Amino acid sequence: MSALPDHHGALALELAGELVWLLPEKALYWPRERMLVIADIHFGKAASFRALGVPVPAGTTSANLAALDRLVARHGARQVLFLGDFLHAKAAHAVSTMAAMQRWRALNPALALTLVRGNHDLHAGDPPLWLSIAMADEPMHLGPFAFCHHPDLLATGYLMAGHVHPVYRLRSGWESVLLPCFMANGQRIVLPAFGAFTGGHAVVPEADERLFVTSGDAVVEVPASPRRDGR
Amino acid sequence: MTARPRTSLRAQLARPRPAPSGAASGSGADKLVAMPANKSVVTAASHMDEPLAESIAAPAIDPPGNAVARAQAGPEANPPINPPINPAAKTDVSSPAKRPARSVANSSVKSSARSATNLLAKVPAKRGANPVAKATGPTPTQAKAWFAARGWKVFPFQRDVWQAAMAGQSGLLHASTGAGKTYAVWFAALQRAARHKRPRVGLKVLWLTPMRALAADTLRALQESATSLLPAWQIEARTGDTGSAQRARQNKRLPDTLVTTPESLTLMLSKADAIAQFAQLDMVIIDEWHELMGNKRGVQTQLALARLRHWNPGLVVWGLSATLGNLAQAREALMPDGVAVEGHVAKDIVVDTLIPDHPSRFPWGGHLGLQMLPRVVEEIERHATTLVFTNTRSQAELWYQNMLDARPDWAGLIALHHGSLDKQVRDWVELGLKNGQLKAVICTSSLDLGVDFLPVERVLQIGSAKGIARLLQRAGRSGHAPGRVSRLTLVPTQSMELLEAAGARQAVAARDIEARPVPYKPLDVLVQHMVTIALGGGFRSAELLAEVRTAWSYRDLTEEEWQWALDFIARGGQTLAVYPEYRRVLPDDEGVYRVPDAAIGRRHRMGIGTIVSDSSLQVKYVSGGRLGSVEESFISRLKQGDHFLFAGRILEFVRLHEMTAYVRRATGTRGAVPRWQGGRMPMSSELAHAALEQLRLATIDGAETLGPEMQAIAPLLAIQQKWSALPTPDTTVIETMHSREGRHLFMFPFAGRSVHVGLASLIAWRVARVTPVTFSIAVNDYGFELLAAQELDWTALLDVGHGAKAGLFCTDNLLEDVLASLNATELSQRRFREIARIAGLIFQGFPGQPKSARQLQASSALFFSVFRQHDAGNLLLTQAQREVLEQELELTRLRATLEELQARHISFHQTRRATPFGFALMVERFREKLSTEKLSDRVARMVRELEKAAGP
Repeated sequence: MSALPDHHGALALELAGELVWLLPEKALYWPRERMLVIADIHFGKAASFRALGVPVPAGTTSANLAALDRLVARHGARQVLFLGDFLHAKAAHAVSTMAAMQRWRALNPALALTLVRGNHDLHAGDPPLWLSIAMADEPMHLGPFAFCHHPDLLATGYLMAGHVHPVYRLRSGWESVLLPCFMANGQRIVLPAFGAFTGGHAVVPEADERLFVTSGDAVVEVPASPRRDGR
Repeated sequence: MTARPRTSLRAQLARPRPAPSGAASGSGADKLVAMPANKSVVTAASHMDEPLAESIAAPAIDPPGNAVARAQAGPEANPPINPPINPAAKTDVSSPAKRPARSVANSSVKSSARSATNLLAKVPAKRGANPVAKATGPTPTQAKAWFAARGWKVFPFQRDVWQAAMAGQSGLLHASTGAGKTYAVWFAALQRAARHKRPRVGLKVLWLTPMRALAADTLRALQESATSLLPAWQIEARTGDTGSAQRARQNKRLPDTLVTTPESLTLMLSKADAIAQFAQLDMVIIDEWHELMGNKRGVQTQLALARLRHWNPGLVVWGLSATLGNLAQAREALMPDGVAVEGHVAKDIVVDTLIPDHPSRFPWGGHLGLQMLPRVVEEIERHATTLVFTNTRSQAELWYQNMLDARPDWAGLIALHHGSLDKQVRDWVELGLKNGQLKAVICTSSLDLGVDFLPVERVLQIGSAKGIARLLQRAGRSGHAPGRVSRLTLVPTQSMELLEAAGARQAVAARDIEARPVPYKPLDVLVQHMVTIALGGGFRSAELLAEVRTAWSYRDLTEEEWQWALDFIARGGQTLAVYPEYRRVLPDDEGVYRVPDAAIGRRHRMGIGTIVSDSSLQVKYVSGGRLGSVEESFISRLKQGDHFLFAGRILEFVRLHEMTAYVRRATGTRGAVPRWQGGRMPMSSELAHAALEQLRLATIDGAETLGPEMQAIAPLLAIQQKWSALPTPDTTVIETMHSREGRHLFMFPFAGRSVHVGLASLIAWRVARVTPVTFSIAVNDYGFELLAAQELDWTALLDVGHGAKAGLFCTDNLLEDVLASLNATELSQRRFREIARIAGLIFQGFPGQPKSARQLQASSALFFSVFRQHDAGNLLLTQAQREVLEQELELTRLRATLEELQARHISFHQTRRATPFGFALMVERFREKLSTEKLSDRVARMVRELEKAAGP
């Protein structure tokens, strides 16, 4: 298991007997299924803020879609699975957001899309039909994996989840950097939030947990023993 | 009139003033405490004659026991409000004839009971003589009679204020505390009311105060005098503490006089019927303007005043201020064409230092100075009531706890007071102070302002006060009565603070008081104000622009900036973008901007206010009972069962539920101490420069001629001189050193903390531009440290003999380099936090319904990065940068400092160990980072280091 130079900073990892790549762009790729797994993209979050009178500049939706495009093209993905919180709120169904998504869908008609509903999706409602996105409730089973939004769900299979928006404060001596991270143990992996306008929740890993941070260019595993204090 | 034995008063006066340091000896206290050579900050009028001097001495013989009776009788009886001393009024009021300066004889102060009796006896007769004034207000004669009834005479400066106000002039009245400022402006307002034949209905006098706690006290003082002179007047307060019934009544009709805060005033301006509510407003008084003018609340006040003046161009506005370095600006910011009136008051202020027995040669700030505890306890023991000021809330908690451990018998006699404690707790402590029931209170800036505590005899300042204005303010909390000496004793927490203490005494003697710069064009406050006005009846763009420009901070506001702000609230920011879903403020058919959505209006009102605090959590006992609040970031690091120190108790963290941290009392072991944001105050450059001057004296004169502080610190200075050198106004000392952490560079320009942040970032940036490197930056008020994991050739860069030859000190491209260095640090991002809250980007949630706001949750850091990426021209980002440049780095001073460095010799030393000055920087915990390394390279390097540390 190591970062393969030809994989653009991705880190290969074996989970429940399957090979997956942790991508520096805060997503997971499952080569066997040619599937891109995305957590917490929060489409339309900026629009929801604007609807409530908070001015957020435009461009986050396009940034999300462009990032998806790059990953699909780079890895030759045939399907994208969203681990919940696809739309941020009801107000995410804003005209500009929907128009941008519709254009994107028209350019990528063959891509199979699946959404496992998360807590935000319950309030925001399902995406419009023209997006032709397959809907599922958590857990959704495929191969050895149980795809969920919530990481603490009781389910058979190896859990892949989002919801937490994990970030980790990497410290060495007097230096420290806050980085999005993947957290994996024997039962589940939690993905970082993918969305361009999403924050992070600082996590302190448990003893049995492996931690992978991304700098945007590369995914690196944080050595286990010195990281424990987490302060 | 009371019959005080005059002879004894004179006898007191005849006694010589306290002798200069050398002479003061004999008592134990004098041995412990270094008396300054020339300690009095007296601006006594030169024509001071005997009756005046008598009046100064009079209150000093009031037995302290009277304090309780006084407090109960109401503040009107407190000498501070109208002390019988002679302020030699200086004024530029263009009064028709210059009066000869007069001294006023206030023969004595009497007990409140007595004066009340006199009042009842005399005033009705007077009133009967003028039934009209009874209805509308007192004439000058009646005002004088009211003063006379309590044995007071009107001071010249008070009369000056009255005359100016009667002539419709606005102005600024400045004098030290306890000079009678309140009655100067209040009686001016009352006399203005008397001009009208018939009483008018509605708000006539608005009294703004910076603190809620002050509102109640002010209210009592105003009511007290009005009951006899203007019984029909309703005088009320309106603050966050005002009950809903009274609030509702006030919403229908405001009282004749309202005491309130800037935030509450702004809230009132956001009501649709604001214009009607303020229709009768005649005079606005801004109390403690010096506390407001330098911050965004002051800007908020300016904007509100612009609004009120727009409605009533003849509005009379008076500010009250303590002495400042920039009084002209203080007056201008309040009222462009106002007058300045100065009330000089003779007041002795003694500043001295508790010299440690064995000052450490290696200054370390980490232990909070607790080694001085026994000495502090001794001092407290010797005086009736002492205020112990600390600079941070955590320091206050620790000192309180340790003091109780040292003196368990003081339980119930000493108390803790800081801004995070529950209001009830604070009220209780304040009451105890007033009544003289407490021996000592450990407090923070929470007691800088506010109610006068007469029993306080002594003020101790743990650590440096960091500024002369603050030091004088705190000193004034003791001996708060005319004629009594205010005495503040500095308690150094580490050896370097002895140097600061010496500098502080020098600066106090020279009255080198800091200026408070008024913020310039803060767009976040403007954006907030525009939404407020859109709510409060709406506005037309051109009209509001003209009005806003009458506020001093926005006098140069450009059309472009205005348009940007308008677009920001009306369209979500970018002029060309179309966001149909965005509707915060919209123009109606007639071009009047209004807030169409009631929910947005409600949220805006909740967010009004410019004081920013990190989101804080209530701390409650599981069994019920509130203790106060701590910041979320602290609680989030606690695990169940962890102990922490708060409100003077050791608490066990039980659980977190709905923005409340539930705790129970714990016993035994020590707990963590919460750290609150904003705990650190930068030392003013005035103080830093005074300290450098003290070092110069140390190198020139030798230790004998120096003050006791400098003598005590001599061993430290000797080591510093032996291993390296002493910085002076002619020499910059630079040191480099190796340690396990990497390569250290120390430099000591003595320019104050904020300049050092800028200077350190600038030099780090100029070096790192050539080689990718990550620096850790530590600063204090004397110098800064740059620490890098990589090796750097500092000798070639800086061991050049004279500052003129050091390219790193160059002032060319200064702005560009500073801006670039800012982007490499997180300074702007931190600044943006406050801006984002004020401008309404971050919503903190309604009290009691934290969940509803969840879909609006985003951190300022997130906004910062989204704006940077997608709206780089956003003026709020520019503002963040400008605030950092002006307020945190002080660009002008930075340039001046670089020029100073160019003019100084460089004394470059490679040391094997940290010198005393360097050591103080090495132990700084708060550090700034600057990196020009690529993030992935940096992460890879850090992970490599971790692997190495973990071993095989």
